[in-house]
Amino acid sequence: MVQLTLPKNSKVVRGKHHPAPEGAKTVKTFKIYRYDPEGEAQPRWDTYDVDVAACGPMVLDVLLHIKNTMDPTLALRRSCREGVCGSCAMNIGGRNTLACTHGHEDYGNSVTVAPLPSQPVLKDLIPDLNLFFAQYASIEPWLQTDTPEPQREWEQDPKDRVKLDGLYECILCACCTTSCPSYWWNGDKYLGPATLLQAYRWLADSRDEAKGSRLDALEDPFKLYRCHTIMNCAQVCPKGLNPAKAIAQIKAMLVERVV
Amino acid sequence: MSDSKPSAVVRPAPLSPHLQVWRWHVTMAASIATRATGIALYGGFLIIAIGALCLAAGSDAYADFTGIMGTFLGRLVLFGVTVSIFYHMAAGVRHLVWDFGKGFEPKTANLSAIVCFAFGLVAAIVVWIIALMTGAA
Repeated sequence: MVQLTLPKNSKVVRGKHHPAPEGAKTVKTFKIYRYDPEGEAQPRWDTYDVDVAACGPMVLDVLLHIKNTMDPTLALRRSCREGVCGSCAMNIGGRNTLACTHGHEDYGNSVTVAPLPSQPVLKDLIPDLNLFFAQYASIEPWLQTDTPEPQREWEQDPKDRVKLDGLYECILCACCTTSCPSYWWNGDKYLGPATLLQAYRWLADSRDEAKGSRLDALEDPFKLYRCHTIMNCAQVCPKGLNPAKAIAQIKAMLVERVV
Repeated sequence: MSDSKPSAVVRPAPLSPHLQVWRWHVTMAASIATRATGIALYGGFLIIAIGALCLAAGSDAYADFTGIMGTFLGRLVLFGVTVSIFYHMAAGVRHLVWDFGKGFEPKTANLSAIVCFAFGLVAAIVVWIIALMTGAA
């Protein structure tokens, strides 16, 4: 259901201000979403005046600098710090992206950092992505075959292998899925861009033999057809992939098999 | 799990902000505008239907109708309906191209959204200039 405003318990109130340390050279303000599951307090916006000259170039460097030197209570996910793991996906400056691959210089003097949109928040910048991964599991993202397994590997022609480019690179960071207004309103029924991109990744695989049942599972007014080509997914994907196009290709496959 | 002492009760998780933080861009605006103009056209069709009914009811009723629609507010509504028709038509063509699997690159999608907005506005203005010049409005 479309709900333009946040529920009562989710309203974000004004929080604490953390001034820059003395002698700070280049100060930039980061407005960060904070929520502590313990206690009764509402989510809040804390502001941190960060001496960006004292930390690394990426937004993730800034967040870790805050955690290390200003406020150890700040909670966030991160791991690889090079855009491969997808852990530090969050909303920075109003768009979902990876904190580790975006420099703070790309933003103005004041940057808003929030968790991935329209998700249950566990703490601060950490959303609960259980539904996201359950949806991913629901499309059975593995090779399915009827023919007996070959003695060696399943072979694939290079020209068929190329068809997986732009699909297999997905790191499941959830930037696209949580950027989609359709997913915001119908996330419990609509599979969302990331899961559908992966559904197409298996439909497009020449070695996979479960095309029919995969398409059957997707032919549903909500699972697939809630995509209204708003295009937020393709705009935000930190790997430059295009879920909207993949979804259109699934729709085309569903048409092709009836005509 | 079977702790005798009640541990910290976990309260329902809040929903992270969405529209409240999102930075809009043109394809998102184009999508909602398609929906909005579609709804506006229901209203526009109603106006046309009322006009037809007034016409059928006689010259007095039709004079009342044209009188109301001829006011500044009435013309503004009609202009809005005209923009809606042309924007919605352009957006329909954009969707048709998408249905053929083309135009999904973000740059192309941005451009086609801008083109739709521009077409809706320019075509409506042209129609109104013609209407005003020929005395139809």
